[in-house]
Amino acid sequence: MASDDEGDLLIYSVFGFIFGIYLFFKGFEWLKLKRMVENMPTSKIRSLAMGLVEIYGEVVPAKGHLLKSPFSAHDCVYYKYEIQELRRSKRLTYWATIKSGKKGAYFFLKDNTGQVLTNPADAEIDIPLDFESQTLNSKNNLLLKAFFKSINFSDAGFLGSGRTLKYLEYYIAPKDKLYIMGTAGDNPFVEEGTGIYNAADIMIQKGSDQIYYISDSNEKDLVAKLKRKTFGGLFGGAALSLVCLSIIFIYLGVF
Amino acid sequence: MAFGLTFVIMVSIVFVVLGVIGYFVSIYNGLISLKNNIEKSWANIDVLLKQRHDELPKLIASVKGYIKHEKELLVTLTKARTAFMNAESMGEKAAADSLISSALKTLFAVSENYPNLKANENFIQLQNRISGLENELSDRREFYNDSVNQFNIRIQSFPDVMVAKRMGLAQPREMYKVPEIEKQDVKVEF
Repeated sequence: MASDDEGDLLIYSVFGFIFGIYLFFKGFEWLKLKRMVENMPTSKIRSLAMGLVEIYGEVVPAKGHLLKSPFSAHDCVYYKYEIQELRRSKRLTYWATIKSGKKGAYFFLKDNTGQVLTNPADAEIDIPLDFESQTLNSKNNLLLKAFFKSINFSDAGFLGSGRTLKYLEYYIAPKDKLYIMGTAGDNPFVEEGTGIYNAADIMIQKGSDQIYYISDSNEKDLVAKLKRKTFGGLFGGAALSLVCLSIIFIYLGVF
Repeated sequence: MAFGLTFVIMVSIVFVVLGVIGYFVSIYNGLISLKNNIEKSWANIDVLLKQRHDELPKLIASVKGYIKHEKELLVTLTKARTAFMNAESMGEKAAADSLISSALKTLFAVSENYPNLKANENFIQLQNRISGLENELSDRREFYNDSVNQFNIRIQSFPDVMVAKRMGLAQPREMYKVPEIEKQDVKVEF
């Protein structure tokens, strides 16, 4: 009779097989993105044309559109957060995400030729973790208290019992350098043709082009990162699927 | 051979075949997007050339009364404008563009000799507008050349060269070259 451990291994193998196939196809998506990043020359903001563009520059907040990141209270134009709880099952200890969200504000991206308004809504934003804490407490922190209230969350445990929570935060701060591949479309805040310079009539946004990608890496690093992901996805995904499939067959005795 | 092993080998082959097909599809799509980038970036230059072309009659009208002794320059500018109007191919448009850019450069340099012209509000506005367009044009020419360069590198690299040949895209594209006349300094006599 198979032991519990072997039963678990079978379940993990089934999940591993499915995840491997997912990774394999995800590898093609990364390959497509890598090719697009490589193929598209970087535009100068001063002479942006309508349509899909690639730009690189520094973040300048739009007047009155500066945000505060929820946990570290850092000035930013975009943030993404996760609250995770430590959970224990029979054999596993893991962090489960119990709350997550994001918020973005209009900002300008500036290079040495000009600046252009950017709306980060609906963008795929690839930025690293900026802040992580397990010791935050809303008791003496009014900002945090207000934020928790706004997202309908309480960090207090049931009947006062303690919960182990982890707070993760990612943000885009003023002066951060960003790579953006998105659609240069009409700026809804400026009447057509009245902008004092070309880029004033334009806003970078999610357009009919499927891609809207924002990263804090420069193009060279981004291509290298996507190359690693593509390689990992295609070869790692295929290898994982094959190994897991072999384990399943060994378990079923058909190998 | 056991069923399991046969099945795993078959799945491996499926992964390899899918991987190879996917890779070549990505090369094909990449070459198409590079080719379209070149066409789009030329169209984006063309838009600015037309805008500048539309500003020229206003500029000529505004300077006519002031620089009577520079008749030859105005004739050159008008001829260059006409050449652009009649140009159909990309090469013809690029040549006319160079002539206009060169004549404008000389005109703005010569305008320094005419204080009354330099103080004319209308001329200042047109000069700013045209200089702005010139800057944008130079960025877009650079962008065009980047697009052409990436296309040319790709169609000559392995394994893309095999796909490019099959697609009839093996011919390298020509860069947008600045004629020698534009590289020369403008002579201004005081």
